[in-house]
Amino acid sequence: MLRVALKGLLAQRVRYLLTAFAVLLGVAFMAGTFVLTDTINHTFDDLYTTIYANTAAVVRARQAFNPGISYQTQRPPIPAALVAAVRRVQGVREVSVGIEGYAQLVGANGKAIGNPASGPPTLGEAWPLAADMSPYRLLAGGRPPQGPGEVAIDQHSASVGNLKVGSRVLVLTKQPPRRYRVTGIVTWGSAASPLGASVTLFDHKTAAEVVGQPGKVNEIDVAAAPGVSEPELASRLRRALDDPSLEVVTGTMVAAEGQDAVHQAMGVFDTFLLVFAVIALFVGSFLVFNTFSIIVAQRQRELALLRAIGASRRQLVASLLVEALVIGVAASIAGIAAGIGLAAALKALLGAIGVSLPATGIVVGERTLLVALCVGTAVTLAAAVLPARRAAAAPPIAALQAVDLEPEDDAAHRGAIGGALVGAGALALGIGLFASTGNRVALVGIGGAVLFVGVAVLAPLVARPVSAALGAPIAQRSPIGRLARQNAMRNPRRTAHTASALMVGIALVSVMAVFATSIRASVNSILDAAMQADYVISPASASSMATGFSPHLEAAVARLPDVAAATGIRAGTVKIAGRTMAVLAADPTKVGDLFDVGVVAGRIGSLGANDLAVSEQVADSRHLVLGSAVPVVFPATGRKVFTVRAIYRDRQVAGDYVLPLAAARSNFVEQLDYQVYVKLRPGVSAAAGRQAIERVLASYPTATLMDQAQYKAQQAAQIDQALGLVNALLSLAIAIAVIGIANTLALSVHERIREIGLLRAVGMTKRQVRATIRYESMLIALFGALLGLAVGLALGVALVTAMRTSGVTRLEIPVAPILEVVIVALLAGVIASLSPARRAARLNVLEAIATE
Amino acid sequence: MVRARADGLRASEPVPAARIADGVKIYGRGEAAVLALDHVSAAFAQGALTAVMGPSGSGKSTLLHCLAGLDRLTAGQVLIGETDLGSLDDKSMTLLRRERIGFVFQAYNLVPTLTAQENIVLPLTLAGRKPDAAWVGRLVASLRLEERLGHRPSELSGGQQQRVAVARALVTRPDLVFADEPTGNLDSRSATDLLAQIRRAVDAFDQTVVMVTHDPRAASYADRVLFLGDGRVVEDLDAPSPDEILEALRRLER
Repeated sequence: MLRVALKGLLAQRVRYLLTAFAVLLGVAFMAGTFVLTDTINHTFDDLYTTIYANTAAVVRARQAFNPGISYQTQRPPIPAALVAAVRRVQGVREVSVGIEGYAQLVGANGKAIGNPASGPPTLGEAWPLAADMSPYRLLAGGRPPQGPGEVAIDQHSASVGNLKVGSRVLVLTKQPPRRYRVTGIVTWGSAASPLGASVTLFDHKTAAEVVGQPGKVNEIDVAAAPGVSEPELASRLRRALDDPSLEVVTGTMVAAEGQDAVHQAMGVFDTFLLVFAVIALFVGSFLVFNTFSIIVAQRQRELALLRAIGASRRQLVASLLVEALVIGVAASIAGIAAGIGLAAALKALLGAIGVSLPATGIVVGERTLLVALCVGTAVTLAAAVLPARRAAAAPPIAALQAVDLEPEDDAAHRGAIGGALVGAGALALGIGLFASTGNRVALVGIGGAVLFVGVAVLAPLVARPVSAALGAPIAQRSPIGRLARQNAMRNPRRTAHTASALMVGIALVSVMAVFATSIRASVNSILDAAMQADYVISPASASSMATGFSPHLEAAVARLPDVAAATGIRAGTVKIAGRTMAVLAADPTKVGDLFDVGVVAGRIGSLGANDLAVSEQVADSRHLVLGSAVPVVFPATGRKVFTVRAIYRDRQVAGDYVLPLAAARSNFVEQLDYQVYVKLRPGVSAAAGRQAIERVLASYPTATLMDQAQYKAQQAAQIDQALGLVNALLSLAIAIAVIGIANTLALSVHERIREIGLLRAVGMTKRQVRATIRYESMLIALFGALLGLAVGLALGVALVTAMRTSGVTRLEIPVAPILEVVIVALLAGVIASLSPARRAARLNVLEAIATE
Repeated sequence: MVRARADGLRASEPVPAARIADGVKIYGRGEAAVLALDHVSAAFAQGALTAVMGPSGSGKSTLLHCLAGLDRLTAGQVLIGETDLGSLDDKSMTLLRRERIGFVFQAYNLVPTLTAQENIVLPLTLAGRKPDAAWVGRLVASLRLEERLGHRPSELSGGQQQRVAVARALVTRPDLVFADEPTGNLDSRSATDLLAQIRRAVDAFDQTVVMVTHDPRAASYADRVLFLGDGRVVEDLDAPSPDEILEALRRLER
């Protein structure tokens, strides 16, 4: 029986090729993600180990909690005087001092190098005292910075900013902007820069002044004398220093922290990409199912013959599943190979866009091989089970019947199963979206998948009338269109299943479109209602609450005679009620004039240093009223208790908690504004105001001045950018569906060789043959798009409704994207038809009509 | 009566519906080359039913395909009326088949998704032309298909399907109709009926028909029977009786 299976496979190899390709794409994406993350993790594991090779212990301030991956310095500095105490400890061979803070390099062309708001941080550090504990390696021709006017910079920034030893460079810090001379270019271990961050190294004294605090350092790094182990040295230091606000950790632990941070960041990246790999495989499984269904239908007579000569049903199923197994394994292996190539290409791409990675080999872990192989094979096998069982159920008598039979479905049966699946999927989705308990993400994912399968099961029931309706316009216009429409209606199950593969991608694109449009509308309506400032000064492309500007910017703008008020907003990571979150802080006396967050109780203006404001939603869910106590844990300063003095409505912009500026000053480590709101004096024209502010901003290249309309446009652009990324990744799912349509058409053409031959004989031109296939393809695609839009819009509405409490207050159905989806689907149909149409047109008429 | 007509032309007669002059067809190359037509010349007079007979491999289907513009000669000339098929590209050839030639095949004559009516007018549909309702009505009536027009091929008997094919072949009033074993898949009653219909079409509409057949009874409906052997025309009988045909076939097999 095994031989029969393999022979069957060989005979159908061309038809199976595209199926295998669909599985291959999904597996390649998955394997590529694994390989890329493994490679990057491995690279940085090595790098951190090397960098901390000579550091036996690190003395630094204790943190109340670990705020996680953050580009902000979260640890308060420690007294520089501790260095002397550390030096005295026995076993200490050498001591180095770390000072770190915000510093933004500005390239020779006046453009900021790196933008912490949209990418890796821009750091300022002190040149390390001990070369063997320094992660930085000075390149030939440079020397360490000395004195207040000199810096060394990382190699990546040097090449981006076109800076060389001897160049003059502008550096922004919390101090006013200042120019420095570059005395050296450094690498970070073997990498051009640490994780793509831009680094400015000052001499010790300058660093303490411009990025640190005078008399303070961030950490003290210690090298051990020969024969003293890391834990031993660490415990000696602990005993010697004996200060609960300090912690002493070994170099190995610090390296591990760095490695963990990279792993965590890569984990997020990894999960994000894997979601799309899973979607691709899901769509691929539709394709496998459909191809198998068609091929076994075409081989019905052969299979019935096997049954007639004594093969059992079980043997037949097994033989078909062996075919699926071989395809699954082969496609998965090829997919892994393609994935390795993909990872190498992505790594090169990351390098090209500025995330410099040290040159190391590609890491292919066991996980990659095992998971990708198993998943690819399992998906193929699972999708083949139903078609195999159905084929094996054919009576042996079918071998003797002349007609190809693809039995009609029992509509009631199909309706019941499909309806049940749709119901179950919608229920799981609903619980996932609206309930507050359980694993919501998993519920939404599984619910969505079940819903899609359910719709695919139901789709054949409507395929005939829908194809008839969709095809009506072309059927009226041309006879070829009529033929195409009839072809699409001829086998509703096939048409529906082929369309369903496209439905998945289209539905997801539609959900994202509804979601993004609604968020945009919500943001706009809030800004319209709440923003009273004339201008916002914000990082060039603010997407996070990362580092911002020196507070000098706020002061300089506030001093302008045209400006009535200017206030900076700060952000920091805190832990409230067990949750780590970013909160905003602002000057309570000024912010009320510039931003109306819809205060429903209390007054923001009356917030004292130990008071805070909360959103109405949090107040309701946590039963907070004016006067309630809210403990807030700061990474640097630990637990502080605040009193609720105001409750506001709009959490979209302000978040759930707003702290007074005084609290930020005393508890945040970084004292930088991430946005500055500006209101002009009455009577000052917008143009004059802008001109005055722009003059101040000239020395802050990362700062962008935006009026309300521009600010809204910037917010919209960010949403569109995220949407674009997601759509780009979803296009993989659509591409696989296009392969599916092409595959179905190729199989149909194969099946209709004689019919096409007849049509050619009685006068159908090649162009007409191609047009028939193209129209049929477009009809299938359009049907898929329609299913996708229906499901997608419904899901989008559900999602937006579920997100209402999170600030998505407006529901908007985007019209342009819907039209785009339809156009994309039609294009997909045309593309899918190209190869089958060409093959059909090229058919040799004689061979096609030759009698058996 | 046996006459040899080397060039297939008689000067006094009008232009024949189709002719082949010195037609050579070779399949394959080198060692594997097969000579399917070996310098065949023949003319097919207008308004006549010509049968082409011969054993398997005699080249009769090749002759039909080359005459009908479904295949091209390796050497020699095929003319449909005054049109030299050798000068036509694929598109012109297709249009010629659509406009000027009708086909009836042994099986699989109809598009399964179209009704009998739609199948009949298919060549016109492909040309984007409106069928002449009176003409279609006459054809349908003459072929007794009035009751079956709305049915799909799968709902028609074999004989009905072939009659629909005949109606389709005639619907464009083509210069000539090629029939390739039109009765090959039919029982004898349906076959007799179909042959009578083809004969009637030839007589009533002055239609030129060239029919390839194995069946001496079918050939006996013809005005003329060409016998092929090893790619050559070996005999050419005018209105032979079934006995004369059997006799000729026997001679061929010797």
